[in-house]
Amino acid sequence: MPQVIIDGHAHEFEAGERLLQFCLDRGIEVPHFCYHPALSVPANCRQCLVKAGLPARDRASGELVKDENGNPVTNYFPKLQTSCSLDLADGMVVHTQYDSEEVSGAQADNLELMLINHPLDCPICDQAGQCPLQIQAYKYGPEGSRFEFEKVHKPKRVQLGPNVVLDAERCINCTRCTRFTTEVSKSHQLSIIGRGDKNYPMTAPGQEFDDPYSMNVTDICPVGALTEDYFRFKARVWEMSHTPSISDFGGKGINVDYWVRDNQILRITPRENLSVNEFWMPDAARLVYQRYNENRPKGPSIGGKASDWDAAYDEAASLLKAANGKVLFLGSAYATVEDNYLLMKLAEAIGSEAPQYISHVEAGSGDDWLISDDRAPNTQGCERLDINPVDPVLLKAKLSEGEIQVLYVLEDDPIAAGVLSAEDLSGVKVILHHYHTTNETLFCADAALPAAMCVETIGTYVNEAGRAQRLRPAKMIRLMNRSLMREAGVGQSRTDRHGTPFDRWFDEGNQIDCKPGWESIPAIAERVGLTLSYKSPAAIMDEVALTLPAFGGATHKAMDLLGVGLEDIGEVV
Amino acid sequence: MAEAPSLITGESKAGDWRNYERVILPPVKDLHKIEVYEEDGGYSALKAVVKDGKFDPAALTDEVKASGLRGRGGAGFSTGLKWSFMPPVDPEKPRYLCCNGDESEPGTFKDRQIFEYNPHLMIEGIILACYAMTIKTCYLYIRGEYIDYVHHVQKAVDEAYAKGYIGKNILGTDFSTNIVVHYGAGAYICGEETSLMESLEGHRAYPRIKPPFPAQSGCWGMPTTINNVETLACVPLIVNRGAAWFSGIGPERHPGPVLYGISGHINKPGVYEFPTGMLIRDLIEVAGGVRGGKSVKAVVPGGSSTPPLTWDMAKDATMDTETLREAGSSMGTAGLCILDEDTDMVAFTRRIAHFYHHESCGQCTPCRDGTGWLEKLLSRIESGEGYTRDLDLLLEICDQMEGRTVCALADAAAWPVRWGIRRFRDEFAARCKADSFASSEQGDGSVEAQPVL
Repeated sequence: MPQVIIDGHAHEFEAGERLLQFCLDRGIEVPHFCYHPALSVPANCRQCLVKAGLPARDRASGELVKDENGNPVTNYFPKLQTSCSLDLADGMVVHTQYDSEEVSGAQADNLELMLINHPLDCPICDQAGQCPLQIQAYKYGPEGSRFEFEKVHKPKRVQLGPNVVLDAERCINCTRCTRFTTEVSKSHQLSIIGRGDKNYPMTAPGQEFDDPYSMNVTDICPVGALTEDYFRFKARVWEMSHTPSISDFGGKGINVDYWVRDNQILRITPRENLSVNEFWMPDAARLVYQRYNENRPKGPSIGGKASDWDAAYDEAASLLKAANGKVLFLGSAYATVEDNYLLMKLAEAIGSEAPQYISHVEAGSGDDWLISDDRAPNTQGCERLDINPVDPVLLKAKLSEGEIQVLYVLEDDPIAAGVLSAEDLSGVKVILHHYHTTNETLFCADAALPAAMCVETIGTYVNEAGRAQRLRPAKMIRLMNRSLMREAGVGQSRTDRHGTPFDRWFDEGNQIDCKPGWESIPAIAERVGLTLSYKSPAAIMDEVALTLPAFGGATHKAMDLLGVGLEDIGEVV
Repeated sequence: MAEAPSLITGESKAGDWRNYERVILPPVKDLHKIEVYEEDGGYSALKAVVKDGKFDPAALTDEVKASGLRGRGGAGFSTGLKWSFMPPVDPEKPRYLCCNGDESEPGTFKDRQIFEYNPHLMIEGIILACYAMTIKTCYLYIRGEYIDYVHHVQKAVDEAYAKGYIGKNILGTDFSTNIVVHYGAGAYICGEETSLMESLEGHRAYPRIKPPFPAQSGCWGMPTTINNVETLACVPLIVNRGAAWFSGIGPERHPGPVLYGISGHINKPGVYEFPTGMLIRDLIEVAGGVRGGKSVKAVVPGGSSTPPLTWDMAKDATMDTETLREAGSSMGTAGLCILDEDTDMVAFTRRIAHFYHHESCGQCTPCRDGTGWLEKLLSRIESGEGYTRDLDLLLEICDQMEGRTVCALADAAAWPVRWGIRRFRDEFAARCKADSFASSEQGDGSVEAQPVL
């Protein structure tokens, strides 16, 4: 295999690789701004300069030229090369800033120039703390600046579109945003206007930057020039924790980071997973962040009256026992595989028919990229458990004929989904695990048990491509159990040791009094005489992966951060 | 190896230039009209080559190579060699010629004379170049400010179409080619070959990274050759009179007729056609001498981006690439700017820096931000508020810019500043205050007022 020598160390490479990505893949950091692995390579920031050369060869014989000590002679390129655009060649010799003062000097020179017209308003900039310019200027930049003039002024606080705000003075013209709209989202809405140091990205006159994927430019912006409108001035990045998990927005299973302060989700950003969403996510999937904070229930209730958890479990259990098996269990495409699995076990113990689920597929509501026709995140998970979509007509008939005495709804809202009306439920007892106080079925619920949402639980979603991916708790609920504590990284060694380096424990007022399904379903099951004793959701999934071929191999350990592709089981009906 | 003898001999290398007969811009009235041009022997080279088969494409390329013609757009690269870089014809792939008429460099105004007085010579040259490289489309890119010449050239192109010199089956042969006149929107950077092609494609004129070079991947990713207007205008002359005639004019390594654009403190500024290798002294003489009989302080020999020469360096130098390189500058586009003894070199350098600041496309960091910094420092020095340390800072900024960008605009911006300071440092230093770090604290402990930022 061909070799390249970087800072004196030989590395093998495959033809077609370029130096910067090659270095980054091997943990050799080379500072850069304009380069992004998903975009074309314009080499315009000029930051990733390295010294490179090729072995000298004798023109006539083609033999390597050696010096008097027998070492091969290197013909260095006369200019420093941008590593992002440099194709690797066999025998190439590269010196990065770790190895060459010429290179580190050139990189510092470039950062000095880059900063002369940058406002350096880091103290009030949302990007500070996670800003490539800030980080790399500290690491590779000059000690100070020799620039003694007024900086160039450009428009600030420009509302480019509904979701993105521009501060043109902070812009370093890397063109990542314009290349994103040209090459990835293909909306072509942004381009650089002006010339020289008056350049900045802008939409065409009179146009709005209303690309449904517009906020991705704020993720790839290497400075604070483009920021998310909803998140501006909400929190400093170092005040928040960020947890790698999965979005419950639609069936694509978008990998995200949830950013939390005071137990509130403040921001959702995409997380790199080349098998699913690459680096991107739609704006709509970010703007749901308030859903996890607002209209959340304050504990369980019986017949609309607040109760405690034991009383609510007792009520649910007695309703189930009194129904003589005339129970319909509705699983949920919003609940995890683990919770649906436990529900199946409970239905079996009660002696009722197998659970069904409410389909949230709205044909034509998606696009051909990351917005799915399926509004729910775990439809495939239900299907793979052999839980089938409920037929509203059949369900209504059964209800009116008195074949169903208790309706057990796991984390869904049959009335809002249009499956049932309040009248249909008039003679029926309802047990409901709900996320929100706005749940329209809540008024018909005889036992209402608040459920943890995807940001508060541990579990598995299977996306529409059949990829099993793992949820992690991003924020705390009231009365964290042992499993949640461990997963959230709190209380690991001492029971009294609360809190992460951040403050996700801080504001108890924002802790929702709810339970994950894998805690509440076994509590009810226990009261009807079924022992569902699992140490943790991971243990439930271990059993699922072992016993159901449709989930073969999908243990929590195997899923880790990037998920596991499951074997194809054919088209979902 | 013995050191080569100096080329700066004070002898003209232009031969009998006083009896030189103009060939690019011959003194013929109404030559821009196609009838007049034909009467003067125009399009005979085209007929000879395309119809009568004087050269096949490869032979025509060799003939141009043999003539020693070097690009007149600034870089001075061998034209025939450039043509030979085109890959073999692939019937699946279109290939293009671009004629670069985006002359925007301050001090350069020669191509407009060809547009105005002898457009058909250029058109004939374009068709011959297309023939040599088997190209079916040429884009003639004219700078937007030349809108009158755009219309004028378009008219000439239309006439040539009507006469069957351009278009399908030229002169009844099976060779066809088209010329599309395109004009820019007023940006200096569009004269850079790759950014010209970006502009042509309808994109923002950001220069491209090379490699790939245009011959591999140019317009729309297809093989493309790009030549200057004056370069292509020389091609019919080479065909008519032969490579030997052409290479016999001027110095051996940089031969041919050339249009000198002479400007500055001179009595008769304008475009003068002479052989290459003219003594700068002689060119000042033909342009009527320095205004007011003053002495010359500096000469910028090839457009504003070329380093200025002091008179001592320039007076014995001739106008050809090798000699000017030895003298410490470059031939560029042969647009000489003569600066007399009263010239304020600081103001002159500041004005050039302003131009490059204004025209930097803003793609690369060093050029985008460096050009502005240069101008700001030079303005401060010009206004008497600068410090001597600023001069070293300017040189360091030049170091930070040169060779660190996609195209050569950063170099073009840095050279006049670097060499202006190097060669006229005393004049710059005389305008500067003593170093602020040393002098800001006064004897009584009070601090001198800081310069207004």
